[in-house]
Amino acid sequence: MKQQDIQHLYWRAGFGVTPNQLKTLSNMDKHQVVNELFQNSSSPSRLEIDTSELDHFTMKSVLKDKSKRREFINKSTEKLKVFNTIWVNRLVTTDELLREKMTLFWANHFVCRDNNIFHVKQYNNIIRNNALGNFGDFVKAISKEAAMLKYLNNKQNRKQKPNENFARELMELFTLGEGHYSEEDIKESARAFTGYSHNYEGEFAFRKLQHDYDFKTFFGHTGRYDGDDIIDMILDQKQCARFVCRKIYNYFVNDTINEERVEELANVFYKDYDIENLMRHVFMSDWFYEEKNKGTKIKSPIEFLVGMTRTVPVEFKKTKDVLKIQKLLGQILLNPPNVAGWKGGKSWIDSNTIMLRLKLPSIILSNAKISIKEKGDFEDNFEKYYSKKKINKFVSAKIDWETFDKEFSNSSFEDLNHQLIIPELSDGTETYLKTLSQNSKRNFCVQLMSLPEYQMC
Amino acid sequence: MCATHVITRISNVLIMDRRHFFKQSTLASSLFFVPNFVKAFENLATTGLGYKRLVIIQLAGGNDGLNTIIPFNHDVYYRNRPTIGIKKNEIIKVTDDLGFHSNLQPLKKLYDQGHLTIINNVGYPNPNRSHFRSTDIWQTASNSDQYLQTGWIGRYLDAYGNKPYNAIEIDDSLSLALKGQNINGIATKNPQTLFRTSQDPYFKNVLQHYQDEHLSEHNLGYLYKTIIAAESSAKYIFEKHKTTSNKQEYPNNEFANQLKTTSRLINSGIETKVFYSSLGGFDTHAGQPNKQSRLLKIYAEGIEAFVSDLKQQGTFDDTLILTFSEFGRRVKQNAANGTDHGAASNLFIIGNQLKKPGFYNELASLSNLDDNGDLKYSVDFRSIYATVLGKWLAVEDKTILNKNFPKLDFI
Repeated sequence: MKQQDIQHLYWRAGFGVTPNQLKTLSNMDKHQVVNELFQNSSSPSRLEIDTSELDHFTMKSVLKDKSKRREFINKSTEKLKVFNTIWVNRLVTTDELLREKMTLFWANHFVCRDNNIFHVKQYNNIIRNNALGNFGDFVKAISKEAAMLKYLNNKQNRKQKPNENFARELMELFTLGEGHYSEEDIKESARAFTGYSHNYEGEFAFRKLQHDYDFKTFFGHTGRYDGDDIIDMILDQKQCARFVCRKIYNYFVNDTINEERVEELANVFYKDYDIENLMRHVFMSDWFYEEKNKGTKIKSPIEFLVGMTRTVPVEFKKTKDVLKIQKLLGQILLNPPNVAGWKGGKSWIDSNTIMLRLKLPSIILSNAKISIKEKGDFEDNFEKYYSKKKINKFVSAKIDWETFDKEFSNSSFEDLNHQLIIPELSDGTETYLKTLSQNSKRNFCVQLMSLPEYQMC
Repeated sequence: MCATHVITRISNVLIMDRRHFFKQSTLASSLFFVPNFVKAFENLATTGLGYKRLVIIQLAGGNDGLNTIIPFNHDVYYRNRPTIGIKKNEIIKVTDDLGFHSNLQPLKKLYDQGHLTIINNVGYPNPNRSHFRSTDIWQTASNSDQYLQTGWIGRYLDAYGNKPYNAIEIDDSLSLALKGQNINGIATKNPQTLFRTSQDPYFKNVLQHYQDEHLSEHNLGYLYKTIIAAESSAKYIFEKHKTTSNKQEYPNNEFANQLKTTSRLINSGIETKVFYSSLGGFDTHAGQPNKQSRLLKIYAEGIEAFVSDLKQQGTFDDTLILTFSEFGRRVKQNAANGTDHGAASNLFIIGNQLKKPGFYNELASLSNLDDNGDLKYSVDFRSIYATVLGKWLAVEDKTILNKNFPKLDFI
């Protein structure tokens, strides 16, 4: 497989590719490369966090005692921050690239936010487990998750007093998109989801007394439907496959939508709603590798941060630094802005985020300095240059340049450029880079990462 | 085009970017020799954007409106707040029913001078009690069941702005309120830091080597355009900022610093229509009295210095200050001497051109509450936005709010 194609695939299905991986993969054909991607993601590894500090809380104490509840929420909120960094770290270190990338995608599809660490962890792993599975099973599982039951108020959805929030977002944001259902469909389907609840541990609990067992008329059919029936009837609509495939295309292929391709994907997906089959179809398609789809996506803050630290390993000393970077870049994992999620694409970029993005590699990796020494300038050695200012005020981090050196030991400067930068560099930028002294690969790496082109994948 | 129009347009260009103007305009040479004449126009309404400015302040966390403006003649108030209700003799009474928290003396002064309008019971239908979501609703001006991905100031920029600095947030990062579809505002706590960041020699060199192909409509082109706009905005803000100083001492705290920066920028004649800042910490679930008192003091003293500074420099007339919180708090206090998340609350408008200074409307009933025990709203916050957009910034509010909201007559 061509190097460029591998890079494209690995950026979209993962967070980039290292020179050594690239070398191995380029000896394989497309079929083998794509297969390996799926093979590596075949069985999910749960994301875990030590929550033993919260073990002494009981349902009774948390529900009955207000100060206990406050204490629980405070401790849980602290744990969520740690869980965030554990997730980021997973993205940096994982070999299950596709599964993790899909998990990010679905977390921004089935958007949810909660402050109970147990429920958040469970929700996060439900997404991970189903990320390449059957979409129908996935939606049904999500509809029964504690965090979601709370987030979209389905917990308050009772026969006596239906709450339509979940039913509405289920159709508008999770399956069909606006305009493909009526207000009446929302009202009727909301009744089918009545009685959904969960226990303290976060397990689904069906409250029979609160469920409306009466007839409901949904999409022209009448029956004593429950939530799963409604989801099956939604999946029967081809629009559901179209809606999801459009989002997949937008996220994995190009944010300029090609309607023909979306229809092609919807035909594949509608057959069995098998996510793995759908993604295999995307990555095996010739059109996926067309030039117009390469290097045209603006990296999300997480893709940017993870991609960078996969190239030069960074060990952040403080949880709050990892969160601070996410906040300033505009994407804090587990903290989506609202149920519609992050819009992505150009919306990541404003005057402040773009300046920070250009500056961040140098801030983290080289104390905010980007070498602009011209060719022929007197050369300090790298360590001396960067040891002038030892304390990094913005973040406290340990940089593992040795791993970078090893990984890129066989790469020329020219190679480094092609390994880190996905879109073509313009002649002007290329010329400018050539005027700079090419003495240290580390310097050059920071220079490349500070280019606007590095923001693209 | 009539002559005045030409002149206003030209002086506007001059204010915005003299260098650019000299390159562009054939009239430059003649005007160059009459700088005083041009300067005279700098303080007049200059552009399609107009000259009036809006300063928005969010009291983040949900300020307890009932302990800010206190309904001291209602038994219901004291019955619901046995330990945190503010005693009658500690209140700065202004009407038979309502009075200010004792730390709001500076606000009382503004009230007496006719510079303050208090609008009671501001909220929206089906109120959401999550900070996050309710802030979103206020910042995007959406319905409570609607999810918009642009802010109301962002959409104002889309329709009427052309530079990021047309709306500035005094912070490190940009809120949703200032994000539009095609143009975003810019955030800066410190214009000098922002400027230094933008002046990195490496970036300057990269930008010098950019070519037209970079500026295409594609995503990469968008990045380059944003960088160029950020660089010139940072430079422009910095240069404006350094031309002025404050004529007034400010208290030494972060909030006052935000207002200090805002004032310097306003007084520099910067082409910024909206300034956005916030004061956090109002989420007073426990031990409310001390926390809230401290914050109200910071708020009131900051505002006092700010207004006085603007007055001394003759810019108060053209500045309108809007203070809101994402929600008020429950009428009934909780067991921890605090209050839980509520719904409708009061909102302050401060300025020198108020049509209805004092209380704009009556406080809603303290006994006829919603199902959660919260005040019911009587004024939709989007009506206030519509008023500010239509009557103060003189733009088509419907375009920005996507709907016609009835305007109020406080300005």
